[in-house]
Amino acid sequence: MDAVVLERVSKRFRKVVLRSGYTTLKTALTHLWSTNLPPAEYLDALTDVSLVIPPGATVGLVGRNGSGKSTLIRIIAGIYSPDGGRAVTQGRVSTLIELGAGFHPEFTGRENVYINGIILGLTKKEIHRRFDEIVAFAEIEPFIDAPVRTYSSGMYMRLGFSVAVHVDPDILLVDEVLAVGDETFVGRCLDKMNDFKKQGKTIVLASHDLALVERWCDRALLLERGRVAAHGLPADVIAAYRRSTAGAGASG
Amino acid sequence: MLDLGRALYRHRELIGILVAKQLKLRYRGTVLGFLWTLLNPLLLMLVYTLVFAVYFRIDLPAYPAFLFSGLLPWLWFSSSLQQGATSILDGTSLVTRSQFPAEVLPVVCVVANAANFLLTLPMLFAFLLALGVPLGPPLVALPLLIALEGALALGVALIVAAVNVHFRDLQHIIVHLLTVLQFLTPVFYPATLIPEGLRPWALLNPLAVLMTAFHDVLYWNRFPSWPPLLALFALACVVLSLATAMFGRYKQTFAEAL
Repeated sequence: MDAVVLERVSKRFRKVVLRSGYTTLKTALTHLWSTNLPPAEYLDALTDVSLVIPPGATVGLVGRNGSGKSTLIRIIAGIYSPDGGRAVTQGRVSTLIELGAGFHPEFTGRENVYINGIILGLTKKEIHRRFDEIVAFAEIEPFIDAPVRTYSSGMYMRLGFSVAVHVDPDILLVDEVLAVGDETFVGRCLDKMNDFKKQGKTIVLASHDLALVERWCDRALLLERGRVAAHGLPADVIAAYRRSTAGAGASG
Repeated sequence: MLDLGRALYRHRELIGILVAKQLKLRYRGTVLGFLWTLLNPLLLMLVYTLVFAVYFRIDLPAYPAFLFSGLLPWLWFSSSLQQGATSILDGTSLVTRSQFPAEVLPVVCVVANAANFLLTLPMLFAFLLALGVPLGPPLVALPLLIALEGALALGVALIVAAVNVHFRDLQHIIVHLLTVLQFLTPVFYPATLIPEGLRPWALLNPLAVLMTAFHDVLYWNRFPSWPPLLALFALACVVLSLATAMFGRYKQTFAEAL
């Protein structure tokens, strides 16, 4: 049984939504009465992305800003649903998206650890048992009862990472979060992820740190404007990525 | 509806934590703490008593008792809807970055306000007794009314929460709508004051049925009339099923719209 199966996954966002953020009564009414509705514009974030990740594989997602990496991670995580195709995962998925996966700024670190742990599938008791370990790994003891809005971005990330790895996931999705940690902490994160690798857990890592992807992933996937542009050994995919960015740089 | 029940059961720990959190947040850093829950209704009660019992001369013995027995359930309902409407927006950071079950957020609003209501009940009883209002066997119907109001509030809160994600005017509309509804619902006047020709229309309002029943049980010391409550129960079931279906359908779009 594969850990992640994506079959021709497509995702589009309505541009209106992106521009105005929401519909107001006024716009709704004007649309109601206007005879020539503007055609809805769509932004194709992902087009026909197919990917099979066997359990225990470590996959790096690379691509320029806006190429669809985060959208893909969110689809695998089940936060977005695909408009076309199918996304299936097997096992407990732990997601680390941006800073502090699913932290509520007004809640304290302690409360957020509990809320996050429960969302990720643990019971209160299980979190209670692992709580000290989570806090120790994040090196955040003195601030655990302060609201997380007062945290620095490093503290946010450390706590988020710590929760994500301590819930004992089968699949770990990491989106560009290691960028804000200091070297020591990133080192410990990588150690932890290495443990995961050894335990046969599946990891998907979206990153701009090409050296990290090359050194650390078994496979890599290059996204270009929401399509799979290359897929294979990290070294080959990164070479393709470098060629395409060099080309874009020369022409534009 | 069953789906909703299952989801709520599965997420009971999460709901528990968030409700406790919301109750704590409300009073953290305040000097009077829990008393604030009482101060707002007390203030409203003073004003309404002055206006309706003294100025307008609604002729009811122990009018403040009558008012309070309708006002507290009303405040539960209206605060649930007001907070419910913005609940998903307020929880943006949770919904967009994790597999957070969005239906939990409006539920938490309703449950937290229910907890507040239940906490004020002992004081309501003391208040009624102090004003010489007898409390008797009809009180056994009270849990039923509370369950009914909870179901209704839950259904409507889920719907407004879902709609408000895409149509954010609703959070403003709902405030005004609730004000209008408060005057149209027999909360601070008895339904018998409504002219007879209009009364059947006024009682089409489901909240009028509910509030009248609260008045019956708490103030008049009599059992409520059952047929309208049965209709209300049916309505609550319909609203909850509708809410579940709507949430199931639109849930996936929340993360993108926020």
